[in-house]
Amino acid sequence: MNHSTLLNVQQLSVNYGGIQALQAIDLTIETGEVVTLIGANGAGKSTTLRAISRIVPIRQGKIIYHDREITRQRPHEVVEMGIAHSPEGRRVLARQTVLDNLELGAYCRRDRLGIKSDIEQQFLLFPRLAERRSQLAGTLSGGEQQMLAIARALMSRPQLLLLDEPSLGLAPAIVREIFAIIQNLRSTGVTILLVEQNANLALQIADRGYVLDAGCITLSGLAADLLNDDRIRQAYLG
Amino acid sequence: MNATLFLQNFLNGLSIGSIYAIFALGYTLVFSILGIINFAHGAIFTLGAYFTYVLMGGAFGFNGLLANLALPFRLPFAIAIILGSTIAGIISVIVERFAFRPLRRKKADSLLTVVSSLGVAVMIVNLIQYLVGAEIYTFPPDTYGNLPPAINFGTEANPIPIRSVQVVIFLVSGVILSILTYLINVTKYGKAMRAVAEDQTTASLLGINADRFIVLTFFVSGFLGGLAGTLVGSSVSIAGPYFGIGFGLKGLAVIVLGGLGSIPGAVVGGLVIGLIEAFVPGDYSAYKDAVAFGILFLMLLIRPQGLLGRSLIQKV
Repeated sequence: MNHSTLLNVQQLSVNYGGIQALQAIDLTIETGEVVTLIGANGAGKSTTLRAISRIVPIRQGKIIYHDREITRQRPHEVVEMGIAHSPEGRRVLARQTVLDNLELGAYCRRDRLGIKSDIEQQFLLFPRLAERRSQLAGTLSGGEQQMLAIARALMSRPQLLLLDEPSLGLAPAIVREIFAIIQNLRSTGVTILLVEQNANLALQIADRGYVLDAGCITLSGLAADLLNDDRIRQAYLG
Repeated sequence: MNATLFLQNFLNGLSIGSIYAIFALGYTLVFSILGIINFAHGAIFTLGAYFTYVLMGGAFGFNGLLANLALPFRLPFAIAIILGSTIAGIISVIVERFAFRPLRRKKADSLLTVVSSLGVAVMIVNLIQYLVGAEIYTFPPDTYGNLPPAINFGTEANPIPIRSVQVVIFLVSGVILSILTYLINVTKYGKAMRAVAEDQTTASLLGINADRFIVLTFFVSGFLGGLAGTLVGSSVSIAGPYFGIGFGLKGLAVIVLGGLGSIPGAVVGGLVIGLIEAFVPGDYSAYKDAVAFGILFLMLLIRPQGLLGRSLIQKV
């Protein structure tokens, strides 16, 4: 595996609505890895992604991406630098079509032909979206909206993809479908930071994992080791 | 009512309705992106009319600070209206910068921003009065070049004369509405603007600089306001600093009728109110506004989301 560090989060603290949502967390992601962040509801998983995307204010600490500090960047600048975020709750643009959503995913890009061929690429990856390309995104099912959110994030050709709870509220069959796609994404060279409540599923496709508990990282290691760790099995795998 | 009178009223209604439409679109654009009604919009309308008047070489009266002053040149109407509306757009951007953005940054309640915009409206009106006085300003008689005073839409035996100004207004409004519809619905930046209107956070996650689109929205809104002000001012007259306030209220009726935040709603609402007003019999024309607002109240009772608005009941 290629061991260059893509993202380095140092001593990151975030306050959220008067509560300290993250307390001095450290996290690194190597290029090409799939890293998962697991933990209970409200542990600070989504907040971590939102801090990296710069849509929540950072109180303390640093985020370094490609040797560049991005702690003070604005959200749209982070996207231009190659970080895409498929947010919790999917957040598709309900009043625009599937195609428009994908085009907006490529908002930072100028290569028309490349964008066109990438849209077709997404339709190959997510055939259900191809059938619904002219439909308003708000009329899609939950699973289809999740696929659209991921496809839209990929449209910026990110180096780092932040995936927030892609399994949330979806039927098991759809979850398997989406996770199979995420697993396939790694072959395209995109690095993934995956936030999941379904720890079992996440650890099965990840290289490494971090466990967040009440805003602190309590455990980290190879995904295979975490899967067999008794503490994790008891707390998160049931 | 005979067919001739009907057609005449209809065409006049379309003309005034198309001004209502472009004016109301200015409200709608800002509302759809920030969820706020910008009460300064009526004042921007007034400013646009004055700017175009000045750019056409018009002189100021005797009462204000700028008494008897005029520019040393005279621009043709077509250029003056574009420039005047552009300046109105820039003023609108300045209003956003000082009256809206600081409150947005502090996540203030939207009611406070509405009050802030009302304050700006009062300030602009007073400033106008201070600078140029309260008198009525009339555009030069040859504003529209050598157009005949009226164009006949009927036959020679059965004429349906419509003032040329009304025709110009309708055409200008139509062109502007078409361009705007195209820009918003088809272009990348239009789609990005709608994305910001729907969900600012998500838009920024796609790499869209939301602040930049808010500024652009205020510019377009101010431009449309200035354009509407110039069209009304040049077809009738600039009735003084308070010129835009009544028109501003009418614009509110239009957007509520059409559906708050709906772009096609603003156009349909404008045309409907323009047409209804045109059919108010001459004897009662002083009560036109009451008719427009009567319709507004009926609408709120029957269909509060307006003709083309989304349901007001939020899905959870």
